[in-house]
Amino acid sequence: MTHILLIEDDAGTANEIALELAGHGYAVTHRVLVSEGLAVARGDDVDLLILDRQLPDGEGLDVIERLRAEGRRTPALVLSALGSLDDRVRGLRAGGDDYLAKPFALVELVARVQALLRRPNETRDTRLIVGPLDLDLLAGIGTRAGRALDLLPRELKLLDYLVRRPGRIVTRSMLLQDVWGYTFEPNSNVVDVHMGRLRRKVDADGEPQLIRNVRGRGYVFDPSV
Amino acid sequence: MWRWGGAIAALLVIQSIALAALFWLLANGSHQREAERGFAQDCRELSSLAPAVRRAELREMLAHDIHRDRFLGLFTRDGRLIDGNVARLPGRTSGTRSFVATVQPTELPGKTSDVARLRLCGMSDGTQLLTGLDLDDAEEALRVVERSLIFGLIPGLLLAIGFGLVAGRRAATQVDAVRGLTARIVAGDLEGRLPVGDRPDSFGLLCAHINAMLDRIQSLVVDVRGVGDDIAHQLRTPLTRLRARLERGLREADDINSFQTTADAGLEEIDQLLGIVAALLRVRELEDHARRSRFAPVDLAKLVEDACELHRPTAEDRGIELICVIEPIEPVEGDASLLIEAMSNLIDNAMKFGPPRGRVTLSLAREGASAVVTVADDGPGVPLAERSLVTQRFYRGRHDCEGAGLGLSLVKAIADLHGFTLRFAEQGSAVSLIGPNSKD
Repeated sequence: MTHILLIEDDAGTANEIALELAGHGYAVTHRVLVSEGLAVARGDDVDLLILDRQLPDGEGLDVIERLRAEGRRTPALVLSALGSLDDRVRGLRAGGDDYLAKPFALVELVARVQALLRRPNETRDTRLIVGPLDLDLLAGIGTRAGRALDLLPRELKLLDYLVRRPGRIVTRSMLLQDVWGYTFEPNSNVVDVHMGRLRRKVDADGEPQLIRNVRGRGYVFDPSV
Repeated sequence: MWRWGGAIAALLVIQSIALAALFWLLANGSHQREAERGFAQDCRELSSLAPAVRRAELREMLAHDIHRDRFLGLFTRDGRLIDGNVARLPGRTSGTRSFVATVQPTELPGKTSDVARLRLCGMSDGTQLLTGLDLDDAEEALRVVERSLIFGLIPGLLLAIGFGLVAGRRAATQVDAVRGLTARIVAGDLEGRLPVGDRPDSFGLLCAHINAMLDRIQSLVVDVRGVGDDIAHQLRTPLTRLRARLERGLREADDINSFQTTADAGLEEIDQLLGIVAALLRVRELEDHARRSRFAPVDLAKLVEDACELHRPTAEDRGIELICVIEPIEPVEGDASLLIEAMSNLIDNAMKFGPPRGRVTLSLAREGASAVVTVADDGPGVPLAERSLVTQRFYRGRHDCEGAGLGLSLVKAIADLHGFTLRFAEQGSAVSLIGPNSKD
């Protein structure tokens, strides 16, 4: 079972995070202090760290810096209520692998955790065949069970991104960040409109849904249906 | 105040006395040196002469003394007068140095004693020569110095005290004004300002600076208070709505589905609230100018293209024609994500406030050395009266029924951070980001 160490001083937040992650099949250990967290993180069975920045006995980033100095590469997700712009950079520079500004949606947290725990399928293949889908990235053509999907270049990139992360939640902000290359929270649902069009092309009426919407915030590509 | 006056008066008095003393010392000293030089010459010349010639020479010298300030006398070894205009030797005698003593003049009418600088020297035949100079001149000089000291010093003293009092009172008044003002500020009143004259001196300039500082502080405080009130108000309305919705949902939900609908609606409302909080934090953070350190060259043409591509499906769904006109342009220093966020906000606004099924144009052009990104629609644009208001936090135009009124303040903050100007077209609906300004 995947073991996640959560270092967070707000009991309510910690409880919700722990319950949500447990619901997705992760074992969660919760600690409040930097010192306690470090002791647990030095054990060999921690697969992922989730830590808050402002802790009662110090700065959460110190935990990452100390672990990195000791040669431990445990992936870390930094949570923070501090301003999100420069802070994100500081968090990533300190050795954090991803950064989530409070307040965040739990589905966003789960999506980031999944992304950190399993690297995507980064093969250099230009032909991806998953389930009924067949994507030819060079030719820019996608088909589902022989039916041409008639994808725009951006839609092909989005589908490529999803197909390489089967069964994992992918959120709007992840798509904007990884497919478009920008980190901002759009005022309107522009990303969802792109995804809506892609879904209508991929999942025609009567076909099993390969792309599911998750609680209004994210999408999951599920080839097992 | 008295300290000031006293100090300045004392300084002036000390200076006057020092000046007078120096003058007196110098005048007296040079007088004595000159007299001694004369005495030495008398002794030398008369000593070398034969006794008879010496007496004749002495008489000659007295005859030439038209100022009648010389004393000359030849005395025998035992002090008897041989010839001269002094009755007898003064009590005290000494060698080569001159001395001051009282003599009895014999040829000054009406004067039986006089103070003189004298010297006694032996002649070659054993007689003694008394040579001297009346000190009346020196005394006169001294008296002049004394008189000028008194007549000069007293008005000077009065002047000094007066000046000190005025200057001291002035300084005390100014310091009191500053003290009073700071006391009022500490008490929470930021309205007060220091008086500054039409032609301010250095203290006046300082006061003007303090006033400018207070203006800035006051506007910041007003800003902070306003933002605090705004936030409270902005959050209270949706929170009230959310509470009512949850309450009603709990009461009326009779199956899991309707309960879920309630929860979903609640979540959506909360997300909106969190969006307001996040946007506020972002605006504040941008205003801190903290993100500049991460600027890199940005290709505006690609940004405009991406912004168009990002919004095109949404525009199509709404039947709006989204047109992109891109003129190639040199890269500008900036943050790509922030700049596209600003463009995205402007496009959202254009699609929201422009006429339905109209046109929205996003263009990149060059204007002199500046890049100009313009978002235009077919609508009437922001009314003239509201233009200065729309970039303020939480300002919502009359027709804006959704959103928190933070979009344009965010755009403004991003523009400011980049040294860009936000410009509204004179006519019609077009908003431009222009920059970077040459001063940056």
